[in-house]
Amino acid sequence: METIFKIAIVGSGPAGLSAAARAAELGLPHILLEAEAHLSNTIYRYQKGKFVMAEPSVLPLRSPISFAAGRREQILETWNIEARGHRINHRLHAEVTAISGGRWAFSLTLADGEVIAAEHVVLAIGLQGNIRKLGCPGDDAEFVQYQLDDPDAYQNEQIVVVGAGDAAIENALALSGHNQVTIINRRGEFDRAKGANNAAILKAIETGGVRCIYNAEVAAVEQTPRANPPGVLALNTATGEAHVPCHRIIGRLGATPPRKFVESCGVHFPSADPTSLPAVSATYESNVPGLYIIGALAGFPLIKQAMNQGYEVVEFIEGHDVAPADEPLLRQKFRTLPGFRDVNAALQLIQQRVPVLAPLTLLQLREFMLDSEIRTPAPGEVIFERNDYTDSFYSIVDGDAEVEFELEGQPRTVKLGAGEFFGEMSLISGRRRSATVRAGHGCVLVETPRRAMNKLIHSVAAVKRVVDEAFLRRAIESGIAPDVPHEALAELAATANLLSFKAGDVLFKEGDASDGVYLIRRGSATISRTMAGREVVLAYVTAGQSVGEMSLMSDTPRSATVRAAVALEAIRLAPAPFRGLLVRYPAVRGRMHEQFRQRVAQNIDAQRQSERGGIIGFLMAQGVGEATDVLLIDESLCVRCDQCEKACTDTHGGVSRLDREAGPTYQNLHVPTSCRHCEHPHCMKDCPPDAIRRSPGGEVYITDACIGCGNCERNCPYGVIHMGVETKSQPSLWRWLVFGGREPGTEGPKVHKDVAKKAAKCDMCKGLPGGPACVRACPTGAALRVSPESLLRATRKA
Amino acid sequence: MRQPLPIANPAFKRHESFLVHQRFLYLKVSLALCAAALFAYFYDDPAGARSGNSLTGYSLGVLSALLILQLAWMGIRKRRYRSRLGTVRGWASAHVYLGLSLALIAGLHCAFQFGWNVHSLAYILLLLVIASGVYGTVVYGGTPAQITANRGLLTREAMIIELEQLNEQSLRVADAVNPEVHRRLLHSISHAHIGGGLRTQVFGPEAARFEEEAVSTVQFMASQIAGMEHAAQKAEQARGLMDLLAQRQDLAERINRDIRLHARMQVWLYLHVPLTCALLAAVIAHITSVFLYR
Ligand SMILES: Cc1cc2nc3c(=O)[nH]c(=O)nc-3n(C[C@H](O)[C@H](O)[C@H](O)COP(=O)(O)OP(=O)(O)OC[C@H]3O[C@@H](n4cnc5c(N)ncnc54)[C@H](O)[C@@H]3O)c2cc1C
Ligand code: HEM
Ligand code: SF4
Ligand code: SF4
Ligand code: SF4
Repeated sequence: METIFKIAIVGSGPAGLSAAARAAELGLPHILLEAEAHLSNTIYRYQKGKFVMAEPSVLPLRSPISFAAGRREQILETWNIEARGHRINHRLHAEVTAISGGRWAFSLTLADGEVIAAEHVVLAIGLQGNIRKLGCPGDDAEFVQYQLDDPDAYQNEQIVVVGAGDAAIENALALSGHNQVTIINRRGEFDRAKGANNAAILKAIETGGVRCIYNAEVAAVEQTPRANPPGVLALNTATGEAHVPCHRIIGRLGATPPRKFVESCGVHFPSADPTSLPAVSATYESNVPGLYIIGALAGFPLIKQAMNQGYEVVEFIEGHDVAPADEPLLRQKFRTLPGFRDVNAALQLIQQRVPVLAPLTLLQLREFMLDSEIRTPAPGEVIFERNDYTDSFYSIVDGDAEVEFELEGQPRTVKLGAGEFFGEMSLISGRRRSATVRAGHGCVLVETPRRAMNKLIHSVAAVKRVVDEAFLRRAIESGIAPDVPHEALAELAATANLLSFKAGDVLFKEGDASDGVYLIRRGSATISRTMAGREVVLAYVTAGQSVGEMSLMSDTPRSATVRAAVALEAIRLAPAPFRGLLVRYPAVRGRMHEQFRQRVAQNIDAQRQSERGGIIGFLMAQGVGEATDVLLIDESLCVRCDQCEKACTDTHGGVSRLDREAGPTYQNLHVPTSCRHCEHPHCMKDCPPDAIRRSPGGEVYITDACIGCGNCERNCPYGVIHMGVETKSQPSLWRWLVFGGREPGTEGPKVHKDVAKKAAKCDMCKGLPGGPACVRACPTGAALRVSPESLLRATRKA
Repeated sequence: MRQPLPIANPAFKRHESFLVHQRFLYLKVSLALCAAALFAYFYDDPAGARSGNSLTGYSLGVLSALLILQLAWMGIRKRRYRSRLGTVRGWASAHVYLGLSLALIAGLHCAFQFGWNVHSLAYILLLLVIASGVYGTVVYGGTPAQITANRGLLTREAMIIELEQLNEQSLRVADAVNPEVHRRLLHSISHAHIGGGLRTQVFGPEAARFEEEAVSTVQFMASQIAGMEHAAQKAEQARGLMDLLAQRQDLAERINRDIRLHARMQVWLYLHVPLTCALLAAVIAHITSVFLYR
């Protein structure tokens, strides 16, 4: 009879390794299965020499395996030694392809067909997924690689890069300086890549810097040891077979996300959103009894958290009741909660009081609270100010809060009581706060940062529904019909649809029949009209505004085309109930008429200045539609002195966050490569320590918690983040004047390789009392920072 | 001088050139200073001729010295990137207008009495600094838009890369045409480099030489084609090569112009700043001598 393991652990990242070590320590029959040829593949794949950080620093480590901040190599070596020391029973090259059965009787099938039996399964496969191989005979040959650490390590080689995404393009371009590079694209375009990469590769192909074979499938990798170069890549192309001789093949085909595999094990994902993760209980058990999920896959994206969970999950399986390692952190948090006794009671209290949090599992709630803060503001204290750019979400646990906003110049207040929440408007729209909120009596709040709230919305469908409904109700109330009783809005709200559009999608076209009013809740759009056979942009509308009421009111076809400038979400209100509302409520009707009148006037104005339309079109194409603040240079004034860059370098530790020359120009308007402080910053998307934040002034900045993983650099579509090392020393102006040496405004000396690189981006000089140094240093007035709204939106009072 | 951006929006009004800064605030200040100086000069009518030795003369002298210090401080303020003392744009605006007013104020200070001495040397240096400043301001006004127009959508780096690629491409074609053409082209390419230090940029950039090479290569090719009437296929290739060479010549011209325009905006500062240093020295000498040998 084959052995039945008490615990089978799948994946040997920090989570799995720590679990296996604890199981070994307790003497439990266990097996650790790892798909790759080495332990901890995610860490293994970090860049050579990467400095790995141990965030969050306040969290204690609880694991038989040690971990402290240090170089990748050093950490991997320590783990290998300790894995041996603990006599972990592990197997490499053991990819698990299927898990079936239930508690006490799981069978795990490996890629080679072998089946392993276990009583419990711990799934710790992380989120990186499995690297897609070329998928043809010979794809594991020695000269085939799936990663490129240092492009400069290769010279005068013939190199084939397979893939058409950002990684493939970046590798191909980086290698093309010293090598002959061919890029293989399965399709006819590079449109999956970022705009800048797409343009760069097309340019390189056109000018011969990189050769490209389009519409080609990889057929085989052949070794030709006696020939030079020693390999050949065989391809099936549209015109028949092709053979590309090469020294090296670099496959950049991305990774298969682990979701499909996890679902095939019977685990549910709460929503279709790609960021959604399986829900697990307080003991990390999934909906499949006996199958536990820990680490990044369970929603804990840092190494230390993953290691702690590895320890805890084994304890839970053994039936021990251990307090999670983060218990002290929670206790610390709850200390400000009036009448606090113990953590579990406090969690229960919050869940009882705040209905929107009721559907959370205990673990989700713990995590949610770890990310959140408890606030007990004094009566009258301002929680946030109207026009602030903050985006956290507040739930009222006790007491009340007052929302103050303006309606047609008249101040109004609304009271919110315990159990209600606020702040969802800016969270969803990414725009300024539309109201000021003050604390009432005995106010106790849970303040949740944007990322934690978004994570929750994407992982618990019920939370999403409640938040969406509240948004809809409040948007209609504040934007269209503030003076209409709730009940009268019910019909309108019931027929409302939430629609999503990609950049460039059309909401509705000129000449279409009206299908309702669109309330934009996130993103921005351009309004254009065909004139003399050409589409001319007339205006730009942002989240919080509505479009489409013109044709509804005048009962005519659409007079203009509305196109999403960036990813956009809109609420469509059906025509019939909307018209009903207009008939019954003259005030609403009056407001709509006024807006209608202004739009018409505006459009006539805009048509007269068709130049302006060209500029709006250009700026939209540069992503200014999602910016809150953008650096522009009027090239007719710019004397190319680079004072702006020098100012940035000097005030930011010798690393400039701005590249003046790069970037497109239209007429004399130049958009340099510099952060646009997006409404929904793409850079925030995947930051493991949540180090990218937005301050009330709107500045998107990076805190010291940055671990240098480079995700933000990849995620920013505008290429404005770079990894760098700031210097503390600042050159002295007088020393330079008298003795020479380093001039203020020049880059610092090259730093030692051992220092941790961190992400550097524009912080809008929020630490400097004078404001943006780049703009203040420009001698001619060419550089300016503006919000696109003040630049593009025609002034409108309603 | 500059065309405003074609955006009719109040937000853009905040954006103005250093010459217009705050509705010509410093122009007004300078004019007021000049008027006050003129008034003092003509109102005060000491016995004997007017000179720097009178009370008015001294006052105007002190004012001039302070203005010179303020103007020279531009070099400091420009590099104090954290400074909150106005913006560099405001400083540049004040610099230009106050600098111009100095020509008059300093002249009134010495009552336009000149001779072969250190005092007049200071004034002449002052005029030279001002003249170079005026030249610089004019250059700042016109050149930027020319650079943008010349570049089209390319950066300098992109133009150079494209030129290199055109070189390679034309070499390949030339190889197919005939060895003589190839040799000629190779020579032309290997003898031309772009860029170089400031000296080369000012005194005949190497790109200029490249441009010459490019022109002569095109002419040479034209003569080659003329001699190829009978070999149809060769002539076809040669015409293709001509196209490439024409593109190459055009690009070389643009790069060259780009370098020249950039240099033009910086080079005058290499006069303006040393002259400023000389001026400061002369002014110190002037003041010391006035107090020592009175
Ligand atoms: C570039 C980068 C830099 C980072 N820097 C830091 C940092 O400095 N500090 C920090 O705290 N965090 C950092 N992180 C985050 C950290 O790497 C992850 O949080 C951590 O690795 C998650 O651990 P895990 O055990 O859950 O999963 P992983 O580490 O992803 O491990 C999963 C393992 O499972 C294996 N596997 C997957 N599928 C199967 C299968 N079907 N069968 C068998 N085995 C399988 C994989 O090969 C892999 O070895 C960084 C992340 C990235 C991408
Ligand atoms: C006594 C008179 C003047 C003195 C001492 C003086 C001195 C200086 C100094 C020290 C700088 C800084 C250069 C650097 O560090 O790069 C400067 C820059 C400059 N000066 Fe003058 N200057 C004088 C008059 C003028 C006048 C009359 C004009 C114009 C009409 C002028 C126009 C400029 C301009 C345009 C700059 C460049 C600003 C920049 O690009 O940062 N100057 N001057
Ligand atoms: S770094 Fe990029 S994604 Fe992030 S706010 Fe700036 S422009 Fe937007
Ligand atoms: S605002 Fe500050 S940080 Fe941003 S580019 Fe300008 S100088 Fe740099
Ligand atoms: S500081 Fe102003 S003039 Fe100088 S390079 Fe920058 S934008 Fe151009």
